[in-house]
Amino acid sequence: MAAIELTNVTKVYGKGDAAVNALKGINFKAEKGEVVLIMGPSGAGKSTMLTIVGSLQKATSGKIVVDGQDISNLSNKETNSLRLNKIGFVLQAYNLVPYLTVADQFKLVDKVKKQGNLSQAELAKLLKQLGVDKLTKKYPGELSGGQQQRVSIARALYADPTFLLADEPTASLDSANVAEVGKLFQNLARSRDKAIILVTHDERLKQYADHIYQMLDGQLTKEK
Amino acid sequence: MFLALKEIKHEKLRYGLIVLIIFLISYLIFMLSSLAIGLASENTQALESWQAKSVILNQNANLSMNQSVLTKNDLKNLDLTKHDAYVGQTATVAKKSGRPSLSAQFLGIKKSEFIYKDLELTSGRKAKTNHEVVVDQAFQQRGYKLGDKITLSGTKGKYKIVGFVKNAKINIAPIIYGSLATWKKLHVTAPNVVASGVVSQKSLSYKHKNAKTYDIKHFINKLPGYTAQNMTFEMMIGFLFVISLIVVAVFLYILTMQKLNNFAVMRAQGIPSRTLVGATMIQSLILMVLGVALGLIMMTITMAAMPPVVPMAFTPAIMLAGSVGMLLMGLIGSLIPVRSILKVDPVSAIGA
Ligand SMILES: Nc1ncnc2c1ncn2[C@@H]1O[C@H](COP(=O)(O)OP(=O)(O)OP(=O)(O)O)[C@@H](O)[C@H]1O
Ligand SMILES: [Mg+2]
Repeated sequence: MAAIELTNVTKVYGKGDAAVNALKGINFKAEKGEVVLIMGPSGAGKSTMLTIVGSLQKATSGKIVVDGQDISNLSNKETNSLRLNKIGFVLQAYNLVPYLTVADQFKLVDKVKKQGNLSQAELAKLLKQLGVDKLTKKYPGELSGGQQQRVSIARALYADPTFLLADEPTASLDSANVAEVGKLFQNLARSRDKAIILVTHDERLKQYADHIYQMLDGQLTKEK
Repeated sequence: MFLALKEIKHEKLRYGLIVLIIFLISYLIFMLSSLAIGLASENTQALESWQAKSVILNQNANLSMNQSVLTKNDLKNLDLTKHDAYVGQTATVAKKSGRPSLSAQFLGIKKSEFIYKDLELTSGRKAKTNHEVVVDQAFQQRGYKLGDKITLSGTKGKYKIVGFVKNAKINIAPIIYGSLATWKKLHVTAPNVVASGVVSQKSLSYKHKNAKTYDIKHFINKLPGYTAQNMTFEMMIGFLFVISLIVVAVFLYILTMQKLNNFAVMRAQGIPSRTLVGATMIQSLILMVLGVALGLIMMTITMAAMPPVVPMAFTPAIMLAGSVGMLLMGLIGSLIPVRSILKVDPVSAIGA
């Protein structure tokens, strides 16, 4: 079963003359254990697709299935719980709560999601895998960009989601770090059996992807 | 609770400063309220100790007992019961060499009537002759002793203090209880004048010639300066509550505005908005509770250090009303930022 599947998804912003067809019939699928890249020029519709896949907003038409469940017509409360339980977000900035230590970022998840999170042992292993196990007492402001990024990834994986969504995850990283993060995503997808969907301009990530899609003017084509 | 406390812990200085402001405001509210109640009671203490319900005065006296005179003729039809008493009031200055002189209100009363009978002395005994007086404890607080012979402005005679009474104040001045005969000497009056007024523990409705009965509430509100003074205090206290409301609202609003990006991300991550709203409201309550608690402590210390002549009454009612009022202001103040939190769109977590 696919982690996520989109069938004929469209998104129109605005109405009448001002209407923008941001997505024009998207068909897309990501399996667990894969890294999928969505690339394309500015304004192509990548972020729009990400917000719909992440159930942050509704598609205008089409069908979206997560883990076998049709999520096209959920209530606000249900999408909230879907995001909490099934989706891990790794965003560009403000990912971490600035006044919580690294350890407390995970406690916050425990407060709102009581079950199905990683155990303390699993979390310790994940933090070690990400190379941030020594930073648990630090606040986000005391970490480097790359360290924050990796803590964010741990935060996203902590709730044990079905898939991970990342928006420009390498925007603030240099080449050495890009390679590291690329390998990390590949590694996490395999070892933790997650679908990892990366929206990026970054050509350097291509070598770590199982599938690559190109978005152009609201249409998605499979490149690899 | 988790988010609220963690944030306060991380931003100690910010929250500390706001607690400091709330503390100062609540301290000021407690001070002003105590002073308001204290001063108000110095206007009315005596009337309350008499349990007066109504008072008969000359209808041309503009409800001032000092200005009022009632003649035999005015009171001709009055059946005096044990709940009614003649009072002759006049302002005077008490003096004795070696002691500070004191502005006071002389009240002439009759031995056979309830005011005299019900006098509760803290020390000494009741006055027996026209040259003995019983005075408010304010005299004691300023160094006067039992047996002191004082002069009263307006007469040549000397009057011996034979007893002290508590809570004997009217028109913010301590009372000197003496006889009606002495009052007539102090207060130049026509020969057929009986008293300034008749105080009753019952609601009378006597009216004859120049005499008219007034309800005690009405009488109190007409005490010189009483209503104006209370209104001034009420306004200041009201403003302080509003200021505390605005301080909390603005502070939490600015903080919330700075955190909107974080809130959007948390919402995207599936953290319910009620968690975020709860954190903000709890923070507001914590700020208020800490500030008010400090205010209460400071106020208790102040009351202990305050000399007894300062008319402040820090009553449990003030504590309760002030504290609850501040907590309410905190809750209302958090509603504005809560509105902005509820409007956060998780989509905005994703940069365009
Ligand atoms: N909220 C919105 N209202 C109206 N139009 C929008 C809105 N969001 C995006 N669009 C339009 O939809 C199209 C796709 O935008 P989108 O943000 O998905 O592009 P993108 O591929 O993420 O671009 P970039 O690489 O610059 O981030 C653009 O034409 C954009 O102007
Ligand atoms: Mg974008």
